[in-house]
Amino acid sequence: MGHEHLRADIAALESAATAYGERHEFLTDFACPGEHRIAVNFTCDFDAMLLRRVLGETPLQFARGEFGGRVGIWRLLELFDSHDIKATIFTPGRICELYPKAVRAAATDGHEVADHMWEHRVPKEPDVERAHINKSTAALTALIGHRPTGSRSRHKVGPLIDAGYIYSSHGSAHHLPHYITAEDGVRQLLNIPFHFAIDDAMFFSFAWQGSGNAAQNLTEPDRVLELWWAAFEQQYEQGGYLNICLHPFVSGRALRIEMLDRLITRMKTKPGVWFSTCEDVARHCLDAFPPTGAGGA
Amino acid sequence: MPWKQGYTISDEIGMPDADIQWPGGRRCGLSVTVDLSLAGGPEGLTAADLTNSIAVFGMNDGTRQVRDVLRRFGIKATLTVPAAMVNILADTIGEWVADGHEIAAQGLMHEDVSKLSRDEEADRLRLATEMLSDALGARPTGWFSLPRQNDPFSVGTISPNTIDLLIDAGYDYFGNGLADDIPHYWVSDFESAKSLLALPYYYHFDDQFFMMFPRVGTGLENPDTLFANWNAEFDAQYKRGRHFNMTLHPYAVGWCNRLKLLEDFFARLAGVPDLWNPTGRELASYWTETYPAETYLHLEPEIWTDHSDSLS
Repeated sequence: MGHEHLRADIAALESAATAYGERHEFLTDFACPGEHRIAVNFTCDFDAMLLRRVLGETPLQFARGEFGGRVGIWRLLELFDSHDIKATIFTPGRICELYPKAVRAAATDGHEVADHMWEHRVPKEPDVERAHINKSTAALTALIGHRPTGSRSRHKVGPLIDAGYIYSSHGSAHHLPHYITAEDGVRQLLNIPFHFAIDDAMFFSFAWQGSGNAAQNLTEPDRVLELWWAAFEQQYEQGGYLNICLHPFVSGRALRIEMLDRLITRMKTKPGVWFSTCEDVARHCLDAFPPTGAGGA
Repeated sequence: MPWKQGYTISDEIGMPDADIQWPGGRRCGLSVTVDLSLAGGPEGLTAADLTNSIAVFGMNDGTRQVRDVLRRFGIKATLTVPAAMVNILADTIGEWVADGHEIAAQGLMHEDVSKLSRDEEADRLRLATEMLSDALGARPTGWFSLPRQNDPFSVGTISPNTIDLLIDAGYDYFGNGLADDIPHYWVSDFESAKSLLALPYYYHFDDQFFMMFPRVGTGLENPDTLFANWNAEFDAQYKRGRHFNMTLHPYAVGWCNRLKLLEDFFARLAGVPDLWNPTGRELASYWTETYPAETYLHLEPEIWTDHSDSLS
């Protein structure tokens, strides 16, 4: 007696968590194709200075991002090519108007070029969100010759499916690819997970996510090499998936390219590593582990 | 590039490793910036910045310790000084000049100018140049806007007008560019291709972010991380045949174990062949003569399309 309102609050929490959880369908029998033990996706978020522009920062902050467009992206492509690895370059549509040569070069080298929001933001207004998805899709299509199939963004699921996307890549609801149900409660989109712990900006980017000066954690390459190697080994032993998120303006710096070169070289000493693009992983999952509707209506 | 005002400052693709030549066939550039400013935040120098024990150390023992290390290893540096400190530091500056180091401008008060009107900023620039010229007996040719420990960003703050004003004021280079790791042209006007050479700077090689950062008591004391970054970047840039810049603050790096890391780093470099160690002025002069903007800056017209639902 007297606890009705508390019980009601708890029931509301339970139903919120359950409803949110039910929008996810996990793969219970995920396995890489053939003899592979692990899928490794190197992904580049090629936003250069666009986020700094959205946040209205000052000229030297833009210049810091510009490094990614005129130097960093080229070094990363060269690194991947030297290891015969195909990566996924998540590219905002606006980058097609700033660095078209790099976007074309990535596609010509056989890398996947996918969407990373029109101007690196998701508009709140539904009509504008759809317009941005269409603009970004059109800009990328014009440069790479076909529609992109994936989007690293928090765009709503329905509009992405409507625009022909077969996967998204954000968040870390599961360490393996999984399905997320659209706002209509019915349709499902594959999501390729990404985790901030495997993101270069976490370690090397000042004021990342607006963190204050006393909260900075600027570190050096060897520490990150060991952290990421441990992540790789854990997933390798388990038989799983690793997404490594790089920003050209961060990881394109010479000291980090050299670290990534050592990381890839070390990964290649193990048999059964499937260095693939996100699209490769997505098509494999959609083919071998299609959604059952368990995360849908 | 496809140029875009307000987004980009230089051309679409930076210079590849293979195209870079250093004087006398040397392999890699090494530049050292020593910032004597004690400004703690965007407001620029305050009395509080100059009246504490760390400031006294920075202006005396710390600066001498760093100068001695540079002298021992025969390394030339560019000393950056806010005009407001040029008289306070007159004796120190004289000693550094006698050792062959360059003196460059670090603003009037080393303040954030990003929100000043163009006229106000131009006025402060004129006064800073005049004060430094009077004290040094010659005009400074380089201008820096290095970050301060309590700035919201780690890159330094300039306004959209700064580079244009520096060109008009006759400066030869801007000292902390972040769009490349070699010298590069910062275009202030696309139509006329008016540009100023920017020298490379990156905060991961700047001591102030690793030594009691951002202030005493926050406990972020990571000189070993800085040392690892110096070594890793130097090795990678040497291999590529590019350039390495490190930025030092005597109030920070001058102290005990930190100074030892600096000595250890320079001792290592002493065994590395074919390094070129210019001051900022020498680097800028070599670059603009060898790679003039008229030939090496490749600007392409804007292809950006404005939309009502998008930023411009």
